[in-house]
Amino acid sequence: MSIELAIALSVGAGLFGVGLYGALSQTNLVMILMGVELILAAALVNLVAFWRYLHPDVMAGQMFVLIVMTVMAVEMAVGFGIAIVRFRSRGSVEMEEARELKG
Amino acid sequence: MSVSIGQSLFLIFFGAAAVWFGVVVFRTHSMVRSAIALLFSQTAVGAMFLVMQAEFLGVLQIMMMASEMSVMAIFMVMFMMDPGGLGAMDMTHQKRLSLWAGGIGLTFALAVIWLTGWGPAAQAAPAAAEQTAALGRELLGRSMFVFESAGLTILTAMVAATMVAIAPTEEHGR
Repeated sequence: MSIELAIALSVGAGLFGVGLYGALSQTNLVMILMGVELILAAALVNLVAFWRYLHPDVMAGQMFVLIVMTVMAVEMAVGFGIAIVRFRSRGSVEMEEARELKG
Repeated sequence: MSVSIGQSLFLIFFGAAAVWFGVVVFRTHSMVRSAIALLFSQTAVGAMFLVMQAEFLGVLQIMMMASEMSVMAIFMVMFMMDPGGLGAMDMTHQKRLSLWAGGIGLTFALAVIWLTGWGPAAQAAPAAAEQTAALGRELLGRSMFVFESAGLTILTAMVAATMVAIAPTEEHGR
């Protein structure tokens, strides 16, 4: 086992733990999105570590990283779209007040 | 067990920075500081990619996150009741449950990482230019369908986000 792989995966675990705490504990939509971003960053670190230390000759690992980056961008775009419509109709993006999703 | 001291030290340094700035995101009351802390955290992740010899992905991550977090900071200022954090508003709920969930997730992941035999590690990654060329061949070869699907997904998300965000007019209704 490579110690560098274990370090990188541990960092991924740390980012996942912090991101999960943030996504569950925050009441503001933008802050929840930040938590999700951290969870996806953890996935990125893991993917690059697996590519580098287990299969550096297979480029599908890097390809997977690009897909997760796409997911990050899409998540932000759709999240902010929802935030805009929510802010326009209710004047706030506090999710405690969101009992239904009628907009 | 193979060890490269320099690579390990840099991974620990940038990894600790990434996790620490991730914690700062949820500890500060100022939303702008939160966005900047997230930017630093993602940049540290990009630096980890560079340490792991994934140069293209590292630079891509840093550039992408710099622009994404700048947009996020603008949204923060627009949407928050107290973007500067001067009122020290509490914007959290179910804190204990969230701490438990995060803690259990972290512990479980660490146990899996350190108790699993990952097999022998690869000693060297291909050179940067070689990697980029191989990634290009992968994108436009074997993984072309997945790559094109990702592009289509982004296009759909852009249209969907714009349509959702457009203000409803009287004649179109809601």
